[in-house]
Amino acid sequence: MTDLSQLIEYLPFLIPIFALELILAITALVHVLKHPTYKFGNKAFWVVIVLFIQIIGPVVYFIFGKGNE
Amino acid sequence: MNILNIEKISKSFGKNKVINDLSFSVPENSIFGFIGQNGAGKTTTMKMVLGLLKADSGKITVLGEPVVYGQTKTNKYIGYLPDVPEFYSYMTPKEYLKLCGDITGMDDKTIKIKSDELISLVGLDKANKRIGGFSRGMKQRLGIAQALLNEPQLLICDEPTSALDPKGRKEILDILSTVKGKTTVVFSTHILSDVERICDRVAVLHSGKLALAGTLPEIKAQHKNDSLIVEFAVLEELECFKAIINGCSLIKAVEELNKGIILHTYNILEAEAVVLSLLSKNNLLPLKLEVAEPTLENLFMEITA
Amino acid sequence: MKSYIAFTTKEFTEQLRTHKALIMFTVFLLFGIMNPVTAKLTPIILEMFMPEGVEITLGDPTALDSWAQFFKNIPQMGIFVLAIVFNGLMANEFTKGTLINILTKGLSRSTVILSKFSMAILLWTASYILCFAVSYGYTIYFWSNDIVYNLLFAVFVLWLFGVLIISLLLFGGVLFKNSYGSLLLTGTTVVIMFLINIVPILQKYNPVLLSSSNMDLLTGKMQPSDFTASIIVTTALTMTFIVVAIPIFNKKRI
Repeated sequence: MTDLSQLIEYLPFLIPIFALELILAITALVHVLKHPTYKFGNKAFWVVIVLFIQIIGPVVYFIFGKGNE
Repeated sequence: MNILNIEKISKSFGKNKVINDLSFSVPENSIFGFIGQNGAGKTTTMKMVLGLLKADSGKITVLGEPVVYGQTKTNKYIGYLPDVPEFYSYMTPKEYLKLCGDITGMDDKTIKIKSDELISLVGLDKANKRIGGFSRGMKQRLGIAQALLNEPQLLICDEPTSALDPKGRKEILDILSTVKGKTTVVFSTHILSDVERICDRVAVLHSGKLALAGTLPEIKAQHKNDSLIVEFAVLEELECFKAIINGCSLIKAVEELNKGIILHTYNILEAEAVVLSLLSKNNLLPLKLEVAEPTLENLFMEITA
Repeated sequence: MKSYIAFTTKEFTEQLRTHKALIMFTVFLLFGIMNPVTAKLTPIILEMFMPEGVEITLGDPTALDSWAQFFKNIPQMGIFVLAIVFNGLMANEFTKGTLINILTKGLSRSTVILSKFSMAILLWTASYILCFAVSYGYTIYFWSNDIVYNLLFAVFVLWLFGVLIISLLLFGGVLFKNSYGSLLLTGTTVVIMFLINIVPILQKYNPVLLSSSNMDLLTGKMQPSDFTASIIVTTALTMTFIVVAIPIFNKKRI
């Protein structure tokens, strides 16, 4: 299991990636919940997209899904 | 002095001639009502005044300076409120007014003073949120504020009240009457009661031409009414009156009301004398006897019929 | 000048409040970390999933592998994100009608275009530098960067390609007044550039060179002087798109 421990060794470099993905997901989630008007889809749909499709989900939401306030 | 002069302008969209040889002028310090049915060409005319549309022929001058399509030189005298004003939804009203002020080249201090003043004039001082959450009425009010920001000599409003509820309409009209004296207001509408409430001059646009123009009293005098309204308390009296008046040579036509009658006459004064004498001779006491005031609505119907 | 600053400030406010700046920064920051980390971890991960007893002959990764990731990800994903974020730059103003007020206030139409162009370049530059700086930091931490030639020049030409894409997006937005038109024009132009690349004599003039041959610079296979023609063509095209967009915009009914 030396390989796995090697992977753990790189955790400090993987953490920022997860952190950024988390920031994107949470910002998008908050926006989805606070602004319940969308160009298409509904709240449940966007919550799933934003939380489960990493990076692309939140990006797609902000560019295409977000309603015009 | 005329603040706006329109001389013989025409405009077609394809084969459809929207404006046909239209001429009129707006004197300073008036509230000018620009009336017409939907699609009569009001917005087209206004957009040509602003240089947003190109007139096929004719000449438009604002304070003596000619309007050139695509250029915005004369627009420094004009404040414009589009029919559906669109703002950047992520800005607050104050930020939007700041942007407008900066674009027109006002200095920061004047922008601050002026925008505070206007925001309270239009009653948005408590609405310090992003424009995205505004109602139609609030957007309309912000529209007036931005249009008045650089103290324009001419304020052009395109159907400012059409999309609003009665309360919102009254508020907008009140704001427009407030600015009268400082600014000449031209506003288009198809709601005639708005015009009667605040305008001192009107122009009626019908099929691309000016059908009627002048001050309200002038117009009403020109189209002096020929009708006499007689109303009774009970139906029997009305029947009796109808019987005696029947065949009178002065009466052109008769229109029945609920418990009354409208007499369209050839000569209103003679007819009134005849009616009065007939009433007293037959001992009939009317509830009401009046010369019908011409309403703008009647005139409008007459013109557009 | 004051109106230019005011409108450019408005553009930045828009990017911030509509979360576009957030997207650009996070996505490019993510790329920045992922480029070197992917290079580093690929052999390890491969080893983990190899069946017992299978020898793998992967060499140890070097700084070049990390930059190979950079010059693969940015021209593809990075430029794609750029196009997605900025395709509505001009089009949204048309479809929402927000320019009517601003233009009747006396803002010239050329200022609108120049403001949007400068804002987009600045946001692209900032995200790109962020991505590069992070990749660079990780790369020199893991490996020696001594074997890499012409790094800054290779990074610069890719940046220039991004600027060309921005000018195309703006030009398309003015021409078609909607974001699909903007994307379509940009996409079509890129496809045409790749088709032109089939002809060998035209390759050195083609803007595509700036986004596809960066690794040859790093290995020393190509020299900066080999890129001169393409840089001139790209700059000229960018300027042409912006300059031509202005008279077209002047004639557009809003």
